[in-house]
Amino acid sequence: MRKKVNSFLLRIILLILGLIVVYPFIWMLSSSFKNNSEINALKQTLLPKVFTLNNYLNMNEHFDFVRFFINSILVAVTVTIIVAYTSTICGYVLCKYKFKGRKLLFGFILATMMIPWCVIIIPKYSMMKVFGWMDSYKAIIIPAMFSGFGIFMMKQNSENIPDEIIEAAKIDGANALQIFHRIIFPMSRNGIASISIFQFLWTWDDFLWPYLVIQSKDKQLLSVGLRMFNGQYATDYGALFAATAISIIPVLVIYMIFQKQFIAGIAASAVKG
Amino acid sequence: MRSKMKYFLTVAMIFVTLSTGCGRTKESNSVKVDVPTKPFGSTIVYDPAKEINDGKKITIELWEWGSDETFQKLIDGYTSIHPNVTIKLVSNPWDDYWTKLPLALQDKNGPVIFNIHNSYHENIINYCAPYEISVEDLEKDFNDIKPHVKDGKVYYIDFGIMTGSVYYNKAMWKAAGLADNDIPKTWDEFRNVAKKLTIKDGKHIVQAGINFNTEFYQTYLLGLNYQLGQNLFSENGKTATINTPAMKKVMNMLLDIYNVDGSGSKDFGTSGSESFGQGQSAMTLMWGHYKETLQNDYPDIDYGVFEIPSFDEKPYAYNRYNGESTFGINKNSSKEAQAVAQDVIKYFLANDEILKEFNLARCTFPTKKSLTDDSDILAHPAMSVLAEHIDRYIWPGPMPAVVEESLKIAGQDIMYNGSDIETALQKAENSINEELKSSDFTAVENLYKYAKQKK
Repeated sequence: MRKKVNSFLLRIILLILGLIVVYPFIWMLSSSFKNNSEINALKQTLLPKVFTLNNYLNMNEHFDFVRFFINSILVAVTVTIIVAYTSTICGYVLCKYKFKGRKLLFGFILATMMIPWCVIIIPKYSMMKVFGWMDSYKAIIIPAMFSGFGIFMMKQNSENIPDEIIEAAKIDGANALQIFHRIIFPMSRNGIASISIFQFLWTWDDFLWPYLVIQSKDKQLLSVGLRMFNGQYATDYGALFAATAISIIPVLVIYMIFQKQFIAGIAASAVKG
Repeated sequence: MRSKMKYFLTVAMIFVTLSTGCGRTKESNSVKVDVPTKPFGSTIVYDPAKEINDGKKITIELWEWGSDETFQKLIDGYTSIHPNVTIKLVSNPWDDYWTKLPLALQDKNGPVIFNIHNSYHENIINYCAPYEISVEDLEKDFNDIKPHVKDGKVYYIDFGIMTGSVYYNKAMWKAAGLADNDIPKTWDEFRNVAKKLTIKDGKHIVQAGINFNTEFYQTYLLGLNYQLGQNLFSENGKTATINTPAMKKVMNMLLDIYNVDGSGSKDFGTSGSESFGQGQSAMTLMWGHYKETLQNDYPDIDYGVFEIPSFDEKPYAYNRYNGESTFGINKNSSKEAQAVAQDVIKYFLANDEILKEFNLARCTFPTKKSLTDDSDILAHPAMSVLAEHIDRYIWPGPMPAVVEESLKIAGQDIMYNGSDIETALQKAENSINEELKSSDFTAVENLYKYAKQKK
């Protein structure tokens, strides 16, 4: 009985905490159907007094929303696929292959995670200029191809894969690439799902780097477009909320598809070491 | 898996419907323009017959923030005269523009023309090429050129100036029994009007006569000192003079409006601008850009504007102003591109129509002499009130952000933390002067037209 009461209380607390977390999002979603004077009014209501779709209809007045959205999808999906692959292969090698300097190399990879982005952004920008990659998706995709966090996570994940399976594959005549592609990669799907969600989210949300390296309007990403609503003196909150509401849909879809694997992947990476 | 697919398809359909079916893409801003064939302008004259870049094709970039339509009109006007020139307009978000621009200006691939705001003067000026128009010619056509002259050259000027005016709610004004001839000229009259506009329920304010919360440092503490003949900086322009009798008088007046007159409260309404827009407060002192805020966020407020009151009838200056700057030319871009940029600047400065468009869009009073009595400018509520005394506003120079920040802290300490005025102002003065030691800033208050009349 006591256990049931505790469990019930715990659920109530979690429900309240969940509502606190979700409320700003619900408010934003609801406000995307209000006009600006209602959004800025002294007396706030959760639901719109006057329901309007104008914010959605006029979204494209600030920038070409659909084009920016497609650009963001293209870049985020490409980076996510590449990072998922490179992280898995690097994590696997660092976990299962014994070679000289392995720990030093892993330490170096971990160290890249400790460097604040603001320290590397200027040299990275200069490199892009020298390479002639400015105003090209190469400047966004290529520097993001390897992720220190991804490698770390997939190395931990590879610990779950028994060495015996790899040995058996070797005995059956599989070469290193075959082992990776046919055994390790499919067995790492939980970890891959986790890193994919993280990476997709980071790439989708990243603003400063795409803004710095992309000049052309038709190549710009959605995160940059969302900033266009902030003027020097005023912000069009209605349109901003409408655009933000739509922009989070891909992230929700990705999470909904991979949520089980995501949780399993995070748990697996956390307990092994 | 099937339910996940349903999720996916539903969400995708909503997106497609909302953003493509219902949404409408902004149509091209380019409009058909009349192509001038004869030279136009006052002293700075633009000759459309003069070929640019020897008639050869050239493409340059123009970076700006915010006013895409006005910039597009400028571009369309210019390229209609010179079809061999293509100007790519690159719009940027205001805040982040100042991170990207200095990086981009480091080589020839950056923008050839870029919009400037003088608050970022120190970050940008070293990348600017001087205008090829002489200072003398600029002075003949424009006011307030002197503060922009550096080693006999000009790198940008102001096409318009912005300052503070009082915005009042017309319905509240009428309900308080006030008429047009009650518009106050002095601070004493202003305080009386504010009292009449205040509505209380017992001790609680229901409607504030005036609200200066949050913005008080921008609109009062950094400006009213000039009415009392006190500059913000010393004679050499290198040190701040904040802890002065003038500044104390201004601060005391603000405290008296709230604490003695009861015409408002530090706890009533987060900020003057918001409170006015939300119909809580009858008056607020704001800069010209507030019109844009009212239009965008509070379109239902019926408001009027009047000039800032003064302590006496003939103040040394009514207030400080800040300018909206013309464009910079990237000195690292190619010679051909720079030549086009110089020509665009000349076209802009000679063209009254486009200058008027820019001023109306930014709610700034034109610095071009030929536009000061333009009927469209004078029809604008925030500009018409400035027209009479426009030469009685002073520009201290591109002040570093620490000046505003320190005055903000001083005011908050006085109003909310019980600090005494003397201590708070001295603290602000010290922190500003500490920061100015490592800054190139020199105030230009001594270039004010009536500087010699300072008490």
